[in-house]
Amino acid sequence: MIASQFYLSALGVLFLGVVSAFTLRPKERILNQVAHSLAALGNILAVLCAIFIFVQGEVSLPLFDWLVMGTVTARLDYLSAFFMLVMGVAGAAASIYAPGYCREYYGRRLWLMAASFNAFLLSMLLVFTVSHAAAFIVVWETMSLTSFLLVNHEWEKEANRRAAFVYLVMTHVGTVLIISAFLLLATGAGGFDFALLKQANLSGFERNAVFLCALLGFGTKAGMIPVHVWLPKAHPAAPSHVSALMSGVMIKTAIYGLCRVLLDFLGPGPLWWGELLMALAIVSCVLGVLYALMEHDLKRLLAYCSVDNIGIILLAMGAGLAFSAGGQPALAGLAWTAALFHTLNHALFKSLLFFGAGAVLQATGTKDFEVLGGLIKKMPYTAFWFLIGSAAISALPPFNGFVSEWLTFQALFYLPAGLGGIGGRVASAILIALLGLTGALAAACFVKAFGITFLAKPRSECAARAAEAPKAMLFPMGTLALLCIGLGIWPQPVLEMLKAVLAGYRGVSTAGLMTSHWFGLTVEAAPAAGVLGVPVLLALLAAGAAIALAAVHFNGRSPRRVAETWTCGIVPTPRMEYTATGFSKPIRTAFAAILRPQRHKVVEEGGNGYFGRRLAYHVSIHYVLNDKLYRPFNAGVIKAATYSKKLQSGSLQVYIGYILAVMIVALAWSVR
Amino acid sequence: MLYGILYAIVILAMSPLVAGIIKTAKARLQNRRGASPLQPYFDLAKLFRKGSVVSPTTSWIFRAAPYVYFAAAAAAAGMAAAGQFGSVADMLLLIYIYGLGRFFLALASLDAGSAFGGMGGSREMYISVLVEPALLLALLTVAGPAGTTSLAGMAGAAAGAPLAFSYILAAIAFFVVLIAETGRIPVDNPDTHLELTMVHEGMVLEYSGRQLGLIHWASMIKQLTVLALFVVYFIPWGVPGLPAMIGGPVFAVKVLAAALFLALAETSTNKMRLFRLPGFLAVSCLLSLLALVAQ
Repeated sequence: MIASQFYLSALGVLFLGVVSAFTLRPKERILNQVAHSLAALGNILAVLCAIFIFVQGEVSLPLFDWLVMGTVTARLDYLSAFFMLVMGVAGAAASIYAPGYCREYYGRRLWLMAASFNAFLLSMLLVFTVSHAAAFIVVWETMSLTSFLLVNHEWEKEANRRAAFVYLVMTHVGTVLIISAFLLLATGAGGFDFALLKQANLSGFERNAVFLCALLGFGTKAGMIPVHVWLPKAHPAAPSHVSALMSGVMIKTAIYGLCRVLLDFLGPGPLWWGELLMALAIVSCVLGVLYALMEHDLKRLLAYCSVDNIGIILLAMGAGLAFSAGGQPALAGLAWTAALFHTLNHALFKSLLFFGAGAVLQATGTKDFEVLGGLIKKMPYTAFWFLIGSAAISALPPFNGFVSEWLTFQALFYLPAGLGGIGGRVASAILIALLGLTGALAAACFVKAFGITFLAKPRSECAARAAEAPKAMLFPMGTLALLCIGLGIWPQPVLEMLKAVLAGYRGVSTAGLMTSHWFGLTVEAAPAAGVLGVPVLLALLAAGAAIALAAVHFNGRSPRRVAETWTCGIVPTPRMEYTATGFSKPIRTAFAAILRPQRHKVVEEGGNGYFGRRLAYHVSIHYVLNDKLYRPFNAGVIKAATYSKKLQSGSLQVYIGYILAVMIVALAWSVR
Repeated sequence: MLYGILYAIVILAMSPLVAGIIKTAKARLQNRRGASPLQPYFDLAKLFRKGSVVSPTTSWIFRAAPYVYFAAAAAAAGMAAAGQFGSVADMLLLIYIYGLGRFFLALASLDAGSAFGGMGGSREMYISVLVEPALLLALLTVAGPAGTTSLAGMAGAAAGAPLAFSYILAAIAFFVVLIAETGRIPVDNPDTHLELTMVHEGMVLEYSGRQLGLIHWASMIKQLTVLALFVVYFIPWGVPGLPAMIGGPVFAVKVLAAALFLALAETSTNKMRLFRLPGFLAVSCLLSLLALVAQ
């Protein structure tokens, strides 16, 4: 099969990328080109492999024999292929973007970064394809460690070291839970191969335990609230092309893991699985976007927005679980389609936005957009692509984010069919309202991010001196932006793909889910029936724009005079412009109960009490979860450690005593 | 299809008239004579003859935004009109088209670099954040029983629904949202752009001439569209089997009545503090939820 050839060569090329980064260490310029070209090639091969799988069918190829663990196989089924596609597109874009961005890192351990970058991609590719529990854990851990190296790359900065440390701790807590889930499954199945895990013989209690372990374990990687704390620290600390991959693809490995466990291994479960997942997801949505709105660090804003978008994906997945439990396979198919489509969409626009943020960072040297402004004139292409990404992530039609959010809305709208009763009706209404709130907050967030960064006058020297990014960085941004528009207008190819992905799983049915028409597509998952007519909308928008143009030009060309913005008679300066902090002020006040804003005002006394004073103002917000969850937990852990320290007396006799005591207990247990 | 286009054109053409009628009615209620209901047409005609003054600080966003805003309002009107006849129109699509227009206008408000524009844009986005859940909930009270989010399906279900208590609750909830969405007192004041009331009018402060005309017209179109939706979903009663020839005028009378009620509501209350709005819209949300439970 040609797909397996592509797959093996993708693995080989990425491995070569790691090797080349080590061997070309002294020649950084060549290394930069070669290692990243190999990464791009590897990703393109992965995309080709995924496409061939969808055309020719699923492939399975044994990789190697692992002594007692059994044979490790790569089973390239449609689910793996879909995620491989997500990774390949975002990864190829990041690899093409990388050489331009990495010029910054000449003389700053570029070889290590390029090697980790390739290894990171390689391990993600394996995570998506390996179908063996133990091997999965190994590549999962490789992925975590290589991304840790990338987050920690600029370790000279205290904040980055801290971010990397928090990431390392959190990801390992997650890994422990994932290992537990897999071990429970493996003991029930009597083997590690995914094909065996599917038929694992588990009691109801064990199934629940697997669900909870997988949810929290993968949820940690995904950045689900309340286990998201590492994400807004780690993503901004990494170099921008890596941030794009971490936000765009790496957190999707967790979505892949959840799909594997929930769809493939466990199958339909009790109703509360779906309810719990939806509850956690909607909290992630609202809190994620609220925190994003409060940020004025461009990359951290985008990272918080990832928490929000993971929430949307998990919300749709939760609805899918609820539908499966409620015996509505067609609606479950709709919900899972929404979740997986949003996974792809988020990978596209979030990578695009991180590339934009990286270009801004490189051109101005700062991520704090409070000091930027006016970049649309200095960096017109970056601004344009960033604008498209912003519109897409705000779920505005006709961009791709809208399509997946519309599908999620539809799934939630029919939630009463799965949950039943008055509770189902109220839950559905509240979830829809909160998802709408999330969308509106995201729009406000990106008006702020784009408006303050790119519009008006530059607020500092560094913004005034900015220059457009090189073409090699603009090209991947443009490609992703075009994909965002294309999939917004014509999502059918991906939806067809998802039909095939979801076809084989228990409790999910996608047969006849969507029908394409010239005006868009209809969704028929009884009782759901909806029409998404984005092409019709485009026609209406075009008609409206034509009327507007006709109205403006009815009396001939409009005479236009250029005059400075009126600022009540004084010469306008950038200091009069609205700030990002000011822009989000009304929302901060309205949600004060959640955000707990605190203002810090420092007034510098001048000679005169009325004039010549300087006022420094800055706002910080309280992260409720840090105070209420993490601090007490940390304190508890430290206290427990202090107590258990007493066991470690250092005296050999006492240790022998311990061993004796354990032996006696063990003997007593065994003869019980 | 043909009827849909016709309805959309009627909405586009009649929207200044409805805005004028509301203004005249308000003036009469305040013991003023007021301008003729046709005044908005004269205002638009004047604006479309004028040139514009553009700040050198602005970029292409500032120039494109009025077109996007107008196109969005017109597309939404077309979609609402199509909702009477075809099934392509969808409630969520309609809401998000307005979102598209608002997104670009709020960006444009930041483009000229004046504090007033930013203030208006910031408040507009704040209000939209509060309105969005309330609007969705209010529409869900219709969409829920209809079992579909398609505008045509919702209209059909609304027309066939018996008058119930939950219906009245839902109607009040939607009316509150209507006030906020069309930027009227007590949420915003369409007649002024003083700092205290600076929302929509503050956002478009830097616009002049034809671009301003486009924005004003678009706002009027949006107002009439939302009023028409209110009538379709919450005052759907008519004589069964009435031919379309008479149905049109009956519909117009109902829209007019809703507009007059808007003027009355606006006159009998005053502008609310910006930070009192969450409570105001929470009332709408709660009424919608009650209506949903009572159904």
